[in-house]
Amino acid sequence: MPERTAFAAVMVDFAHALRAAGLAVGTGDVLTYCSAMAPLDPTDLVDLYWAGQTTLVSRRDDIPAYDLVFRKFFLDAAGPAAELLMLKATAAAEAEAALVMPATEPGAQAEEEQPLLGWMASDVDALKHRSFASCTPAELAALRKIMARIRLMPPRRRTRRTRTGPSGRVPDLRKVFRNSMRVHGEPTELLFRERKVRLRPLILILDISGSMADYSRHLLQFAYSAKQAAAKVEVFCFGTRLTRITRALEHRRLDVALEQAAQAVVDWDGGTRIGGCLDSFVRRWGRGGLCRGGVVVICSDGLDRGDPQVLAEAMERLARLSHRVVWLNPHKGNNPDFRPSTLGMMVAAPHIDLLLSGHDLASLEQLAEMLPVLN
Amino acid sequence: MEYPRTVSGLTESLRQGGYLADRGLATALLVSLSLHRPVLLEGEVGVGKTEVAKVLAAMFGRRLIRLQCYEGIDTNQALYEWDYARQMLQIRALSERQAADEQAVDRLFGPKFLLERPLLEAVRAGDQAVLLIDEIDRADDEFEAFLLEVLSDFQISVPEIGTIRADSPPAVVLTSNRTRELHDALRRRCLYHWIGYPAAEREVEIVLLREPGAAEQLTRKVVSAVHKLRQLDLTKPPGVAETIDWVRTLEFLGETELTPQSAQDTLGAVIKDRDDLDLVRENLAEITSGA
Repeated sequence: MPERTAFAAVMVDFAHALRAAGLAVGTGDVLTYCSAMAPLDPTDLVDLYWAGQTTLVSRRDDIPAYDLVFRKFFLDAAGPAAELLMLKATAAAEAEAALVMPATEPGAQAEEEQPLLGWMASDVDALKHRSFASCTPAELAALRKIMARIRLMPPRRRTRRTRTGPSGRVPDLRKVFRNSMRVHGEPTELLFRERKVRLRPLILILDISGSMADYSRHLLQFAYSAKQAAAKVEVFCFGTRLTRITRALEHRRLDVALEQAAQAVVDWDGGTRIGGCLDSFVRRWGRGGLCRGGVVVICSDGLDRGDPQVLAEAMERLARLSHRVVWLNPHKGNNPDFRPSTLGMMVAAPHIDLLLSGHDLASLEQLAEMLPVLN
Repeated sequence: MEYPRTVSGLTESLRQGGYLADRGLATALLVSLSLHRPVLLEGEVGVGKTEVAKVLAAMFGRRLIRLQCYEGIDTNQALYEWDYARQMLQIRALSERQAADEQAVDRLFGPKFLLERPLLEAVRAGDQAVLLIDEIDRADDEFEAFLLEVLSDFQISVPEIGTIRADSPPAVVLTSNRTRELHDALRRRCLYHWIGYPAAEREVEIVLLREPGAAEQLTRKVVSAVHKLRQLDLTKPPGVAETIDWVRTLEFLGETELTPQSAQDTLGAVIKDRDDLDLVRENLAEITSGA
């Protein structure tokens, strides 16, 4: 019995270590882990590893973190479990040989501080048309307040899901039958199955490279408010590599969400490889169906250091995969006769359905207005 | 037939059924069977996620009940539905005196008029069934929320009949291709396992197990070629299913060697995208060059 308690204590400690590493491990999961070990051999590290992975990890992205913690916890000589394992027959070294774990690269962490801004009342109209590049911190705070009010509403589409309604093609026998029960089985009114409508997914792909430095943080805030407003929003950042920050932006508080997003991204203010990044977006996410039928909004100035051919192919593919492609180019400004001058923009232009500027608040409002009618 | 109680026993049973499971997958399945928890399998396309459930059912003499998910699937298609047309006919056929009889009305909502759909079928069958909920990511989130209830309690309430409960729940396998992120609440209720591409040696074993007639040398060449294809930057990298298909195609054509020419002719079995085809054709000699 004391050995069992000691064993459970180790499991709990292990769960704590996982939580400390950022995995969402609930008490229920630990219970499952313990009961999962019942039909298995608790002294076998390989069983410990796999049972833990299947019960405590619930998404692929968490597996590297799990591996790292497991290695530290059970295989490290100085690790907390070493004492317990010493009593057991299985030698750690032997088990390590049997365990094939993918090498985990420590993610480079670029710290990015969000400026703490004070509150300020200001003239809304004056701010609306000022480019984000030239705002003082105090003005930015006010801008942020306004931005939180912009509600993004992606266009709708009809779904395969139906609900009862007065018109349609397929009669709703269930409802008709139910209603007829009230009048002694005599069907009175013919009801139909109507197709429901729902919002299309919205995918924001933000350029956070050096040339966009003046705008990128505000685009991030914009992405945050979009994420809060509509349910199906995916947000990606890119400079030289693509990062998905959707989950980071899920936090309720703006500051925490932005902080998390800033930490997830490792290539702030660096170079740009639009083509490569869009290509990896299409391959990794688009192909899986993430943007299928959705509206993709790319915010970038189109200054690409990569091969234009790659960008052209990626854009073509993206346009085929998604419903509409919107490009926000801050350099467009308020100039209606704007012609794209960067090579990247010229290559991408044939595949863009709508080109807006997104350099100030008014233009973002314009985007919010245009979105619902992008059908 | 009872399932084995050890990982190695389960691995062996699966192998007899023509499925090679690695240690991690076998552990996940064993735990799932012992604790009566659903297991969620994610992985690349064509690595045998669906196959797991089929083999489990076949090996242990259970019935495979498959719920193929798609957008717009709702409770009528997943749970049960009353056969309204027949009910109406029945009512029409009753004379006034018969209709006054209480039992006649009861019979209207009896098993005769209940159309069982996969989930109800699985709950009724209990541990005699393996429930495969295939491509759950294709269903919309509303359906996912509804599944939560069924998967945690294995009970279904039909208002007219009452609650139907599984005494011992069926084995449940969910698969997802990750076209969208599943909700955390659903993940919590499941065990999770990620199935990746197998190593070359293992893939040869798998192909030979599935396609016993195949020549080993040809299989090795094909597997090595497929591994090279996966290294290429393809839009849709070939899965194990494609490897098996390719070997099958070559066998059917009577090819004994994987030459650039025979590969060129049969490329359609592995590569399913035009851009990928162009890319592969350029590198064909290198790919088919062998180990």
